[in-house]
Amino acid sequence: MEIEKNIETLKSCRYCPMCRHVCTSGNLSYHESDYPRGRGLLLDKIYNNNLEYDPDIVNSIYNCFLCGCCWSNCEGNYKMHELIKSARIDIVNSGFAPQAAEDIKSRLLSGKNPFGGNNTVYKAEERKAGLLYIMGDNIKFNDHAIVRIVEDLLSKLKVDYSLLNDEPPDGKILSLLGYHKDSKELAEKLYIRINEINPKVILVSDPLVYDLLKNDYPSFGFKIDPATKVMHISQYLAKLLKNRKLKLKKSNNKITLLDSEFLGRFNKIYDEPRMILKEIAGESFVEMRWVRDKTLSAGEAAFVFNDKLFSDGNLLGKKICKEAKDIEADTIVTLSPTAKENLSGCKDLKIVDIAELVLGQLSDGL
Amino acid sequence: MRLKKTSYMFDMILFELADIVGKENVSIKKSDKIAYSVDYYWTAELWHDKGLESPEPDYIVHPENSGQVSRIMKLANEYKIPVTVWGGGAGSQGGALPVAGGIILDTKKLNKIYDIDLYSMTVTTGAGIIMQHLEDALEKQGVSTMHIPASSFCSTLAGFIVHRGTGVLSTRYGKIEDMVISMEAVLPTGEIINTPTVPKTASGPDLNSFFIGSEGTLGIITKVTLVIRKMPETREFQAFIFDNIHTGIEVGRKLMVEGIRPSVIRLYDEAETKGLIKRVLGIDKKGAYLVYGIEGHKEIVDLELKRAYKIGNEYNGEDLGSKMGKQWWDQRYKFFYPPYMFALPQAFGTCDTVATYSNVEKIYWAMKKAAEETFPDIRFIGHFSHWFDWGVMLYARFIFDDPPEDPHESLFRYNKAWNVTVRAALSEGGVINEHHGVGLKLSRMMKEQYGNSFEIIKGLKEVLDPNGILNPYKMGLGVK
Repeated sequence: MEIEKNIETLKSCRYCPMCRHVCTSGNLSYHESDYPRGRGLLLDKIYNNNLEYDPDIVNSIYNCFLCGCCWSNCEGNYKMHELIKSARIDIVNSGFAPQAAEDIKSRLLSGKNPFGGNNTVYKAEERKAGLLYIMGDNIKFNDHAIVRIVEDLLSKLKVDYSLLNDEPPDGKILSLLGYHKDSKELAEKLYIRINEINPKVILVSDPLVYDLLKNDYPSFGFKIDPATKVMHISQYLAKLLKNRKLKLKKSNNKITLLDSEFLGRFNKIYDEPRMILKEIAGESFVEMRWVRDKTLSAGEAAFVFNDKLFSDGNLLGKKICKEAKDIEADTIVTLSPTAKENLSGCKDLKIVDIAELVLGQLSDGL
Repeated sequence: MRLKKTSYMFDMILFELADIVGKENVSIKKSDKIAYSVDYYWTAELWHDKGLESPEPDYIVHPENSGQVSRIMKLANEYKIPVTVWGGGAGSQGGALPVAGGIILDTKKLNKIYDIDLYSMTVTTGAGIIMQHLEDALEKQGVSTMHIPASSFCSTLAGFIVHRGTGVLSTRYGKIEDMVISMEAVLPTGEIINTPTVPKTASGPDLNSFFIGSEGTLGIITKVTLVIRKMPETREFQAFIFDNIHTGIEVGRKLMVEGIRPSVIRLYDEAETKGLIKRVLGIDKKGAYLVYGIEGHKEIVDLELKRAYKIGNEYNGEDLGSKMGKQWWDQRYKFFYPPYMFALPQAFGTCDTVATYSNVEKIYWAMKKAAEETFPDIRFIGHFSHWFDWGVMLYARFIFDDPPEDPHESLFRYNKAWNVTVRAALSEGGVINEHHGVGLKLSRMMKEQYGNSFEIIKGLKEVLDPNGILNPYKMGLGVK
């Protein structure tokens, strides 16, 4: 069983309730089976007492946001999110994958929108350039606005960039759903295209894609040219700012930042987005109550299937919205398209992706 | 009444519960039943570990207001279905286990904060709120309940109240029961009652105390008004090493009776100093480690620190300074996480008790002697962590590192270890527990502590819960 790889976590977490207060899924449903301790108990029954997966146990395992909040608040440094990922692999291998996950897989493998919506992909123009922007599956199918903004921004900044026409699926979603083998096969197609181009910079807006390139690729045995820099848009813009190649207008808006777990907690990118926001908002930049390693989940691994497979991302968005109102922010800046989608119900505040914010604040004369 | 799942009555009752709380707030899923079959009680963990059958609920409900709790209790009385209240499920005494099956009533959705009154310094909140969530909300206003034990992360406010919980700052601010102003509760028969708006009345017995420490046997607390305090201007620490616990207890006693107002004093015995303090804090010293904290306005704190230091010095304590004291504060919760906590396959128990200064050291030695004379393979350790004007709590623990493989034999020895240690405490003027409660674990010991006065508690149960459906088997109150 794949969960054997995380056996110490299983042993330690099955009876420990100490991360209850930060568990994203548990504190949405308040069901014991949606907290790490509950999931640990269930997996322990399966591993040690031959209990079989059933749809309810499977749902509990798939309800986890994989956000790592429990890990960040664990004195023992146990990675429950890794245990859950391995349990999902076991579930898939045992033939118990939930139907919603199966549907996503088959759509992805046939080149369709994994989320079942419009199958129209963003029309990209590929050209020879030093910077390659990878959209990833979510943006490619569902968030064309973000890629338009990024294109507009890069053009205005006179950056030599390209996208891939017919960008292959990235494989990250399947990886998170437990389809390890399929994920690797899909990811390989994108990997081959990247290597053919061999760009100096790979730029992404989606932290899931960033995490794929940084962490899944090495685990798949894929090697990107060490000279190629993989950058999230916030890192890239911060670098331009630092090198005085980006001038931004000031804003009086009270801006706060929603950290990203896949960018921050798993890849330690915290300072660059803050550098941009402080440049724009100065003293009007306000921090959330929980930030950096202690940040609450932005719901990035909940994708956008509210009520279908995972806990309700919009419900999480309401909580984040309240946190922002508590610090009297009027704008929440997000670092991922899913986080922005999860906050779509937050009507009283302005919700903007970091690229969108920067585009709006570009100084004249660039 | 136990119902077969195949019986249509099972579905009829399921429908009635869903009609009360909404379909999404009632569960009969196997995944939930397993998750609610184990709390933080060693025996429940052992049973799970050995693959034995754990008692499971038939239904799990998540009411969102006291009206729903009331209707659930009325329904349960109609059909005589046992109801076990579940907060964070973090109790170590088995109090939340559904040993009679029936309904688990999870209170975590009773979590609305109604009012933070910064003028009167009170907060009114749903009693099922996870304590840390309440603290987070209060912290934004610069205040706190000052009830912040490690279990704040996982336990609910009502869970603390019904087990008479003690926080890390209890020496200054009291136990949770000292912080309760008033409450709303649902009686076992479903009536919703409110206690008087303030507790200091000269109008009969204190109704709050009917429910404080009742462990979900006499009612379900649904809303509470608590005292809150301003965050202190400064919080300072000092640590010492003393030759032995006798000197340490004397220093702690002096700190209390000389009118210094520490927020925390913690004295570890030689075994814990050598083991836990070294492992968790990295402080490698022989003797008994003592740390105290003093907080409040800086000028007053400075003065109190000076007086406290003088006492420590008079008893020839090795001065570890404020840094090693602060180190304890910063890592105070680390003790409760794996891998620092004891864990299966070890058999372990915290037999905390409380007594006057005249008795407490005698109790420590009597418990240690009883444990070690009965079991050559037992380890006995302890620390003194909640200090009062008249005495102190002893957080005694026993550990079997290599218990029998057979769970029945292991449980028998475990229960015996409890009997001998708790009886030793009782014989020297202690009580069966200080802040974890009674639950299932110590149920059999209630009569030994109370003698014939236990009839008062039994009578109360009889009157409030005539069908005996609320949390049966717990707290010595048996089952109907």
